[in-house]
Amino acid sequence: MEKKKRGLRFYADIYRKILVQDLKTKMSYRADFIISTIGMIMVNLSGFVTFLILFRNFPTINGWDYYHMLFLYGFSLVALTPVQCFFDNNWNLRFHVTSGDFIKYCFRPVNVFFYFMSEVFDVKGLGQLAFGIGTLIYAWVHIGIPVTPLVIAKLIVFLLTASLFMIALMNAAAATCFWIRNSGYVMVIMFRFKDFAKYPSSIFSGVFSFLFTFIIPIAFVAYYPSLVILEPDNVPLLSWLSPLLGVLFFWLSYKFWMLGVRKYDFTGS
Amino acid sequence: MNPRKLFALTRAGIMESLHYRLGTFVTLFANLIYLVLVYYLWKAIYASSGVDVVNGMTFTDTMIYLILATSLFNFLEMFVVWDMSRSIQSGKIILDLLKPMKFRAYTFWSYSGSHVVSFIMTFIPTFIVVMIITKGAIPIGMNLVYFIIATLFALIVNFNIEMIVATICLYTESTWGINIVKETIVLLLSGASIPLAFFPEKLRAVVDYMPFRAVYDIPLTILLQKNGSDTLQGLLPMFGFQLLWIVILTAAGTLFWNYSVKKITVNGG
Repeated sequence: MEKKKRGLRFYADIYRKILVQDLKTKMSYRADFIISTIGMIMVNLSGFVTFLILFRNFPTINGWDYYHMLFLYGFSLVALTPVQCFFDNNWNLRFHVTSGDFIKYCFRPVNVFFYFMSEVFDVKGLGQLAFGIGTLIYAWVHIGIPVTPLVIAKLIVFLLTASLFMIALMNAAAATCFWIRNSGYVMVIMFRFKDFAKYPSSIFSGVFSFLFTFIIPIAFVAYYPSLVILEPDNVPLLSWLSPLLGVLFFWLSYKFWMLGVRKYDFTGS
Repeated sequence: MNPRKLFALTRAGIMESLHYRLGTFVTLFANLIYLVLVYYLWKAIYASSGVDVVNGMTFTDTMIYLILATSLFNFLEMFVVWDMSRSIQSGKIILDLLKPMKFRAYTFWSYSGSHVVSFIMTFIPTFIVVMIITKGAIPIGMNLVYFIIATLFALIVNFNIEMIVATICLYTESTWGINIVKETIVLLLSGASIPLAFFPEKLRAVVDYMPFRAVYDIPLTILLQKNGSDTLQGLLPMFGFQLLWIVILTAAGTLFWNYSVKKITVNGG
């Protein structure tokens, strides 16, 4: 079989086409779109209220004051946007697999993972992004971090890094449906762990510190990457390594996902 | 109504949930990891505050409260909203409406089996682990009996909230959005994300009159013997509050459902 080499442009072009179709479908259910957006705003507001109530009772957490915690919170919200916007179809994977619909993705001459993810773009994630950026800027100003091109560049790189970890987690959680039925639980649980990403992971110790850093890497969803900005004089090695680790985790989750796809082919359902 | 008919539904529910044992184990396992997260987070929070008791809650109280709230959440979780929207889409709802039983009662009793299973397989083990970790900090006595009664009431309140929200979904064609709004409101205002004891007084005054408190806060307060619930004078108003909301919500829910069911339009099926 002849295989043509396809560049980034080919995939970007396809993504754009599928995206437009998806948005058209979404717009035809206008009420649903509006209510879902309100829902997303409510989720963020409630997270914020919880945060405020917590700080009303406890002024510092493990040496982190209000604004530093707020920075971490905003950072985690922004870092969670890509997984919400671009990888939301993971939530539907298990339905496609159990119903047998998934086979359609295997017959297209593009990468299965890419094609599957490109099918859904979740607009609601943008509300979260706005919330996150607002929080981040507010905290930024109050802490008084200098604004230089270098800091901004670092911020972008490490935000992207942080988002890779969450994407990896959700990919891996979704892919479990190739092996177990009712894998919705696994996804719900992984998604709930993200709520702990907004706390400094220095609170963990011993085995659990290791577990939440290298096995379920929630420490990387905000804590380690954000230290690069928050404490530029005292950046731990793990923070510098996080971009590499992020790519590694993403690659591993992708391989795991594809392994599931191959297994699915073999069962021939 | 014939109780044998009802128990048949419960039995069918039990058998169905036992079929998905893996999901139960995953939930239990996740509860344990969650327990670790909550433990470290609140240990750090209390350590930073420098005092042992905040708003009448010690570290142990808070931990027990939050972990059992999560565990109760798994136990009370009903997918009424999702199931209903799916059965409207597929047309299956017609078959349920034709059954020689009131639809609301049918739904309630079909879920009862899964409640029984998840109570035994996830709530009780989590409870035992919490007991071991806190070295028996949960008082054992009549409060356990009261707790179970309060939980049954909570179950009914929760069912009514779910049913009302599911009925709203008949009009909006939006499931995810309505469901996430409901979940966020219930989790925040019932004290499942942060104990109600930490709420600022003004907010507390409002929340105290809302039905959501009846779902998580009242059972857990009774279990921990807080707010004078160890005396009959303290206990009766709490049960009264739950019963009052059961009556209000059942009446409102039944009326709303009977009105809306005439408007269901099912395509195909």
